[in-house]
Amino acid sequence: MNGKVLVVTSGKGGVGKTTTSANLGTALAMMDKKVVLVDTDIGLRNLDVVMGLENRIVFDIVDVVNANCRLKQALIKDKRFERLCLLPAAQTKEKSAVTPHQMKNLTNELREEFDYILVDCPAGIEQGFKNAIAGADTAIVVATPEVSSVRDADRIVGLLEAAGLTDSQLIINRIRAKMVKRGDMMDIGDIIDILSIDLLGVVPEDESIVISTNRGEPAVLGNASRAGEAYRRIARRIIGEEVPVYSLDESSIMTRFKRMLKLAR
Amino acid sequence: MSVEVLAEGSNYELVIDLSTYNSLEEMKIQLDKSLTIVEKYGSETQVCIDTGVKRLTERQLRELERLVSEHGLELKSLRNSERRGPEESPRRAWSDANGQEIMEGGETVMICRHLRSGQKFFTRGNVVILGDINPGAEVIAGGNILVIGALRGMAHAGALGDEQSVIAAFRLNPTQLRIANHITRAPDGERSEIKNPELARIREGKVVIEKLKI
Repeated sequence: MNGKVLVVTSGKGGVGKTTTSANLGTALAMMDKKVVLVDTDIGLRNLDVVMGLENRIVFDIVDVVNANCRLKQALIKDKRFERLCLLPAAQTKEKSAVTPHQMKNLTNELREEFDYILVDCPAGIEQGFKNAIAGADTAIVVATPEVSSVRDADRIVGLLEAAGLTDSQLIINRIRAKMVKRGDMMDIGDIIDILSIDLLGVVPEDESIVISTNRGEPAVLGNASRAGEAYRRIARRIIGEEVPVYSLDESSIMTRFKRMLKLAR
Repeated sequence: MSVEVLAEGSNYELVIDLSTYNSLEEMKIQLDKSLTIVEKYGSETQVCIDTGVKRLTERQLRELERLVSEHGLELKSLRNSERRGPEESPRRAWSDANGQEIMEGGETVMICRHLRSGQKFFTRGNVVILGDINPGAEVIAGGNILVIGALRGMAHAGALGDEQSVIAAFRLNPTQLRIANHITRAPDGERSEIKNPELARIREGKVVIEKLKI
């Protein structure tokens, strides 16, 4: 088997890299793919919490690269899907505990086992970033519709290009249709104009993400979440299906109904 | 001759390209000029020199090194890139002293990619960019700057003091514009979006922006 290594990165912190990794990983597993999530945020690990697997960690990525354990021992099976695994980051070490070369070897080993290897990159452009992109085939750049986030994403795309990752794809996270319509928020076109990379998907702002993150259950599991729905569509796009990109005009039946009532009044 | 700040991982390297020059004398003159720009506008302390297909002797290398240190910089490495291709007709040995200054004066560099945040480009001559200059990116030229795309970052034309230099862009929307010793920015609070090509130049001691007439 020859899996694909995708690194989820953004430069800026707090734009939703970990949420995106967790949800895309789960969504891909829901489509019968063998997926492993690799958390490279050594010292500030989160992905295990978001996945609700915190209490199962015995070994971590640093143990694996230092050969304190076998790779199989460190991989944590997801509670919901057999096919989904997590390789957690170490919490007590620093980013320098792993080198880009070791990461490359690690991802190559994982390629044999899995269809998709999703690498959750830490914020910043230092050692942690270099580690995360070392073994990647493609990068998924997450940006929110804010000038600061887009600026950082631009820098990241430049660095990815310098490292030979030229076909990065963009996920625009936490977009608010209403604010965009009022002209108070950057719209999708503005962002693509600046970054000039392919758009992989758009995820709307959604309160249910907060709830699902706190519960340790990715939002794609339920049907109620709009963000979860967007992530499921992105996952389908990753495996090569043609799915139209979520557009801002796409309103649910409820809002359409409400609008009709307002008109009637 | 161009100087480019190249990204390597997250470290940017400053590379001075001397591959189009043939004699040591020529190289030294060009190196001196580019170092003047780098010293003035660059934040780097180390530079790399690219001599293309030409090899240097120990003594020649030391001469270049001395020149670099006279500008308060440090020579990080010497490299021989082979990327300069067909336009560099028959390879002359670098010591062949009869090299004419083919590109002198109207020397123009072409960049066919986007310059992104954190990337910087220097040249002693003119520069044409087929792509965008994004916020946080910088282009510094001794001559004119032409952007076939959007200029959203910083551009400095006439960096060696030439007030005749101009900056033209398909979308002129820079964070800052500099021509020779003049620095300007867009007025605060005004967000006009002009979708036509524009040209910035100095008129009567001020930077003015005009519609680009082609």
